[in-house]
Amino acid sequence: MVKSFIWRILDFIIAAIFIYAGVLKALDPVQLTHDIDHYKILPWTVGVALAFYLPWLEIFCGLALIFRLFYRGALSILTALVVVFLAATIGAKVRGLDITCGCFGHASQNWSFPTHMALDLGILIALAALCYCSVARARAHA
Amino acid sequence: MKFSLARQALILAALSLLPGVGQAIYFRDKISWQSPIPPSEMVSVDRAREWGDGVIWIDARPDDEFAHDHVPGAVSLNEDRWNELLPQFLAAWSPGKKVIVYCSAQSCDLAREVAERLRKEAQLPDVFVLEGGWEAWVKKNR
Amino acid sequence: MKTHVLTLALSFILCLTARAELKWEQTAVELHPAKGDKQAIGHFKYQNVGKTPVHFKSVHASCGCTAAQSQKDQVGPNEKGEITATFNIGDRTGTQIKTVTVETDESANQKTVLTLKAVIPQELEISPTFVFWKQGEKADPKSIAVHAGKEFSVKHIKVTSSSPDFQTKVQETGEGQFKVDVQPNETNRLMASTLTIQAENSPKTFYATARITTAPTVPGAHGVPGAPTIQKAPAAPPGGPTAPARPPAPTSQTH
Repeated sequence: MVKSFIWRILDFIIAAIFIYAGVLKALDPVQLTHDIDHYKILPWTVGVALAFYLPWLEIFCGLALIFRLFYRGALSILTALVVVFLAATIGAKVRGLDITCGCFGHASQNWSFPTHMALDLGILIALAALCYCSVARARAHA
Repeated sequence: MKFSLARQALILAALSLLPGVGQAIYFRDKISWQSPIPPSEMVSVDRAREWGDGVIWIDARPDDEFAHDHVPGAVSLNEDRWNELLPQFLAAWSPGKKVIVYCSAQSCDLAREVAERLRKEAQLPDVFVLEGGWEAWVKKNR
Repeated sequence: MKTHVLTLALSFILCLTARAELKWEQTAVELHPAKGDKQAIGHFKYQNVGKTPVHFKSVHASCGCTAAQSQKDQVGPNEKGEITATFNIGDRTGTQIKTVTVETDESANQKTVLTLKAVIPQELEISPTFVFWKQGEKADPKSIAVHAGKEFSVKHIKVTSSSPDFQTKVQETGEGQFKVDVQPNETNRLMASTLTIQAENSPKTFYATARITTAPTVPGAHGVPGAPTIQKAPAAPPGGPTAPARPPAPTSQTH
């Protein structure tokens, strides 16, 4: 009982982070597009598409975690997102690119590289734990 | 009804498209899918032609390109010699005139930068960037 | 667990997994040119960490204001080099971002975008830089706000009008903040003035323009395009703003 309560708290924390990040970005997609375009890595059109789509994906996946609807699908999407952002941040750093992942939109553009890494890793660990718990629960019910 | 992981993720991804598309429609005047310049600040060659004499053309390209060829009656204004060239342009401007800035092609940023500067610093209304730039003008007029 | 790859993932993963042999020390450089500098130069160092030589197919800047040069056309294994990007500041202001696209033969369409960000110090920020009155309009004063840039301490400014037809009055509105009231003597004639604004003890000059313009033309009306009495500014000498033929009038305000 306590264990499942703790897992639910973790669900809510992760969901809140992604919903918050998504809402921040969804409020100003024009600025987000310019932030993405800033370093000329993606074509403008792709940047526009991402700016309109990504925030809502984060919001819906966060809500899915809270309401336990399409839970495993949401976990997998969020895990994929964090893996991509982590890989992109590390890859960019290795190549000497001065880039922040923009996870929290324009608000996070002054965050340092260690801050980004710490947050992304923390979220990834939490997501991995939730995935493990979900798989274990499914096996127990099977 | 239980869905597989892949199906859950697909449904979430598809659901996220809806508000994304809605936002894209809502912001359609503030952001262009083709270029960083919003549609409200862009004008096509055909539209510019309709405005007739009520237009002042600004060539934002470097001096040598302007000297080689330009829109008849265009004024040269670039950021290399902004302080020197701006008064000449202002001498030709009067309230009610529409200003159309162009540079070499759609991909060129110079026209956008000159137009932004005219709007912000000189606070001129009705400043537009020519869609397709000099290339587009030549195609339609020669 | 299956991962669903978004377009962003594809782009970044492609970048990471491409067999890039050229390793860049940094692909984004931020420069802070000093006041009065005409150019800002960025150095992008690289090393060929691969086993085969890398040949530069093209080095292309995003605008004519930036010249980009590679030290060598070909880089052997383990060799180092650099690409120099020289950005001509001209009369540009604020933060300027220019890019240099480097294409090599490492793999098909291998392109690297180098970003040069130049933060140009602005001693005085003037808004607006253009004030006008329509012909016949009441000759009320119009204001120009002058603010000292963040890194500058400006206690006084001097404003000079090139034409005695325009009067200027300077007031201090705060620390490093000034208001310049510009007023024409009359608005019946078409006339113009270049306002030269200078911070005390600074050689750098800034400009604003005051002008009496023709009234807006009615759309579709026929007639002589523009007003025949517009005084077209004469061609300016290199390096200076346009000035009327007569010598600058002795109307200057200091605060």
